[in-house]
Amino acid sequence: MKQELFEQLHNAEWKLFETWLATSPTRKKRKKDAPPPPPSFPAAELPHRYRMLCQHLALARDRDYSLALVAYLHRLVQAGHDRLYGVPAGFAMRALRYAAGGFAADVRANRWWVLAATLLLFGPALLMMVAIRYQPDLAYLVVSPEQVAHFEAMYNHTGDTIVAREASTDVAMFGFYIFNNVSISFRCFAGGITAGLMSAFALIFNGLLFGVVESRLALAGLGHNFYSFVIGHAGFELGAITLSGAAGLRLGMAVVVPGRRTRREALRETASSLIGMVCGLAAMLVIAALIEAFWSPLRLDYTLKLIVGSILCLMPIAYFIFAGRDHGA
Amino acid sequence: MLDTVRSVTTPELIEVQLHPAGLLPRSLAWLVDAGIRLGIIIMASQILLILGNFGQGILLLLYFGLEWFYPVLFEVLGSGASPGKRALGLTVVNADGTPVGWGPSLTRNLLRTADFLPFLYAIGIISILFDKEFRRLGDIVGGTLVIYRDPTGKLPAIAQLDPIAPNLPLDRATQRALVAYAERAALLTTARLEELASLVPHLARSESGPQGMARLIGLANYLIGRRT
Repeated sequence: MKQELFEQLHNAEWKLFETWLATSPTRKKRKKDAPPPPPSFPAAELPHRYRMLCQHLALARDRDYSLALVAYLHRLVQAGHDRLYGVPAGFAMRALRYAAGGFAADVRANRWWVLAATLLLFGPALLMMVAIRYQPDLAYLVVSPEQVAHFEAMYNHTGDTIVAREASTDVAMFGFYIFNNVSISFRCFAGGITAGLMSAFALIFNGLLFGVVESRLALAGLGHNFYSFVIGHAGFELGAITLSGAAGLRLGMAVVVPGRRTRREALRETASSLIGMVCGLAAMLVIAALIEAFWSPLRLDYTLKLIVGSILCLMPIAYFIFAGRDHGA
Repeated sequence: MLDTVRSVTTPELIEVQLHPAGLLPRSLAWLVDAGIRLGIIIMASQILLILGNFGQGILLLLYFGLEWFYPVLFEVLGSGASPGKRALGLTVVNADGTPVGWGPSLTRNLLRTADFLPFLYAIGIISILFDKEFRRLGDIVGGTLVIYRDPTGKLPAIAQLDPIAPNLPLDRATQRALVAYAERAALLTTARLEELASLVPHLARSESGPQGMARLIGLANYLIGRRT
């Protein structure tokens, strides 16, 4: 069959497909005033018509029809391919299912990495806490004297008002916590590509910093203020930082020991199995920021804050131990 | 191979060609996006900073969202291209040619941090320059490609002329070249068309100028099946 006849036979189908691509929206349009024109064929016919186009493209290539015709059919096939294999729907449902148990199951599946990250974060922290109680000047290895003075001033308040600051400041701090903490955790994960070095560094440095702040404030007699502030969000925040470190370390391991795969393939597979966990820990940090901005600064009774704080602190741990045991079953 | 085409076989057993985009268009697309983001931040700060601390918090949230999720939202919901990429005709797809989803898109954009190191995307640029398909680290880890996508392919039209039967057998490559010549006739100047025709005297039958050109288009008319 010659090209001219081929075009005459199928031109109508191609044009129909083209108008369908142009008129049927990928998702619901926001505009309400103008209803979209009815599609030129029902969506259920897409697979059939698309396979038809594939066949025409194969024929056009095999019969050496002109380059422009092949390019035209190729474009239609590509557009049809995009529609057919597009983003699966039900994003909200998937996210909900993941939060209900998939996240916890993922974390348990990576428990040795989580353990390694925990040691890298809390090991230096404990070390610093003990060391500074004997030798307070060790703090200056990690932070400058001005910063220590700044920390001490921050927690040095007298308990005469219930709220530490105005509500608008709470919102400002919320924005800051989200911006700062989630960015740090994302960098901690992505930095894992440097064979895990940047993730390990972030964990150790934050551990040391935490140890310094805790022990210097305790030595300055501000321990109560400090504990009552941090205990509420510590579980979510430190947990999320640990998880981001664990994800980073595992990504780094894919670079160092790819196993029986190419490095690229190892990286791709590892990252795609970790990305859910990274989203989960980002959500944890949002919760932590909410607590840190709106609950932690309240100056309530010390015992009350400790009790509520401990419950908040245990919530993520309980979630990771118990949730999603039957996930994927 | 010097060509930068990636052929992907779809489940329908048809080959789809992807054309990865190189450093320059991608850098330009990034610049456009950076400009848009900067514009949004500046405009929002004019309004939000009047609101004092509250506005400052919202501004930080906005900045955070723009920094990490601006490309992701556009890539997943806006058919694979942020405004900058769209302006340059680029699209992000999975390595198998399918539209990019939440996971790969998020991965490739989180890995921007690594690509940015040590300054101004130095590692990303090195990675793009060394990779056969111009992928930065984020693309490698996310399993994605940035490709050209031209949505303006039209059905070809060859000018109607009296078909001329060839007086000697033509091989496939010659036939294809003739038809391509006739298809592109509308895009080229007459002088160029005549010059091209004079390069193939055995096909143009040594007819020079407009006659040679008309003869080649006539041959193409015959080849695609037009008969008098």
